[in-house]
Amino acid sequence: MYAYKEHYKLFQSLCCEVSLSYIAAVVLLCLIFSHPLYLFSLFLALNMVILSAGIIREWLIYLKFSLMLIFLIILVNALFVHAGATILIQGPRIPIIGTIRITLEALCYGVGMGLRLLVMMGAFCLLTYAVHPDRVLKALGGGRSKTMLTLSISLRLFPLIAGDFVRITEAQRCRGVNFQARDPRVRIRKYVPVLNTVLLSSLERSFQLAESLQSRGYGSTRRTCYREVLRRPRDYMVIMMILLGLGYALILILSGSTGYSYYPRLQPVKGAEITMAVGLGLFFMFPALLNWGWERCRFLKSKI
Amino acid sequence: MKDKIFILSIFLMLSILGLGLISDNPLFTANWALISVLFLGLVITAFFRSFERHSPSAKEIALIATMAALAAAVRVPFAILPGIQPTTFLVMITGWVFGVQSGFVVGALAALASNFFLGQGPWTPWQMFCWGMGGVAAALLARRNTEFNLQKFTILACSWGYIFGWLMNIWHWVGFIYPLNMKTFLATYVASFPFDTLHAMGNVVISLTFGKTFHHVIQRFKRKITVITLKENEN
Repeated sequence: MYAYKEHYKLFQSLCCEVSLSYIAAVVLLCLIFSHPLYLFSLFLALNMVILSAGIIREWLIYLKFSLMLIFLIILVNALFVHAGATILIQGPRIPIIGTIRITLEALCYGVGMGLRLLVMMGAFCLLTYAVHPDRVLKALGGGRSKTMLTLSISLRLFPLIAGDFVRITEAQRCRGVNFQARDPRVRIRKYVPVLNTVLLSSLERSFQLAESLQSRGYGSTRRTCYREVLRRPRDYMVIMMILLGLGYALILILSGSTGYSYYPRLQPVKGAEITMAVGLGLFFMFPALLNWGWERCRFLKSKI
Repeated sequence: MKDKIFILSIFLMLSILGLGLISDNPLFTANWALISVLFLGLVITAFFRSFERHSPSAKEIALIATMAALAAAVRVPFAILPGIQPTTFLVMITGWVFGVQSGFVVGALAALASNFFLGQGPWTPWQMFCWGMGGVAAALLARRNTEFNLQKFTILACSWGYIFGWLMNIWHWVGFIYPLNMKTFLATYVASFPFDTLHAMGNVVISLTFGKTFHHVIQRFKRKITVITLKENEN
């Protein structure tokens, strides 16, 4: 039932810690950077990785949803921020909004922030569809942490509860209960006994689960767990590129070129900034490039 | 102590964001998107750490996992209806019956678990925080009432529909809008008002329909798993 889908691709085969580090690094950088060039370069790199992970269809769904949010970001920035100097449209005074004054800078800021949102969405799309949730839980301390144990149990119970709901609804339907009533109040009332039964059966199951946990020795001593982590050359190569990318980003941050001034006038883009943005993109594009070689070169595949 | 942490964290968050609105201070130009995420991470970690330290029993773990799974499962069929969130009701009723810690953990885990099925996003940590705090708020209200009061619960659920939306708006506002001033703040909040109202109204309907029965069932279950140990008098 997970949103995650198994594909035979390099990104899915990476060690979970490496995939999570890649995603965390991209999210961190897109939160720090405000320069649209760097954000665009991260966006392109991320798109390549998404494409190489074989989750393009899922990414399109994310994109559709993101467009709605981006529209809202552009709208609020364009209508309510009057800090820009290049006026595109000047209109009449509207009671709450004030004088309509849409500036080029506000529009560009909206687009720039839309790009930041897209990078963030791309990273989370990778997390949802290209990293197995069970591996995430294990990587986050699933063996010893009680929080992760609780989360892991609730993930196992999720499909059971959904199944219970369907089963009980069908049983009620067989008894002649009409769940398709036109009046929504009547329909809600018909669902009351179903949900009560689901709650009761889930709570009873949790009691059995607790007994099962206790009979297996939960709480008697400190939990131990055995976890074998397979780290292959591809993991070391990708983690090395992430570290190099972060180091490169740190240099860019310290040199002060990652910020961008939208107001009062758009800061001109220098040629050197384009080169630096391409460099940053290459570091984060690495998993996609490696996947390309991995799929085409048998020798490389056998070695990494 | 937990009341104080709750009030302090809300106060800190609002005061830091308030400072961001005043243009003549060094925080005005700070990277609020990053600061807010770090702050949120700290609050969530603090609650989870206290859960780990408290060493929950097997019954508590099973119960919290079940309520989180239930709260996550009811979210899926309503995902297509923007605003209607039965999860809020389930988290709050759990918080009311089982207290602050269980309320927060159920809320936070319900958000995280459901997003493994619906899709993770930058909203996940914010949802974890908002639903977790919903459970905490209900638990704090329950402390002031000896019996279950449906009216008060419904009013809180209705208010939380708006508070949830307003807290969720913060990531949108600090992350993607500039400059951070009262005008852009209100504009962001006005844009979400219809969805927040739907959420609040949904909470009212769900609380009035399921409030009493769910409270009765969960309370009965709480009594069932509660073990009272009596110490033998040495004299």
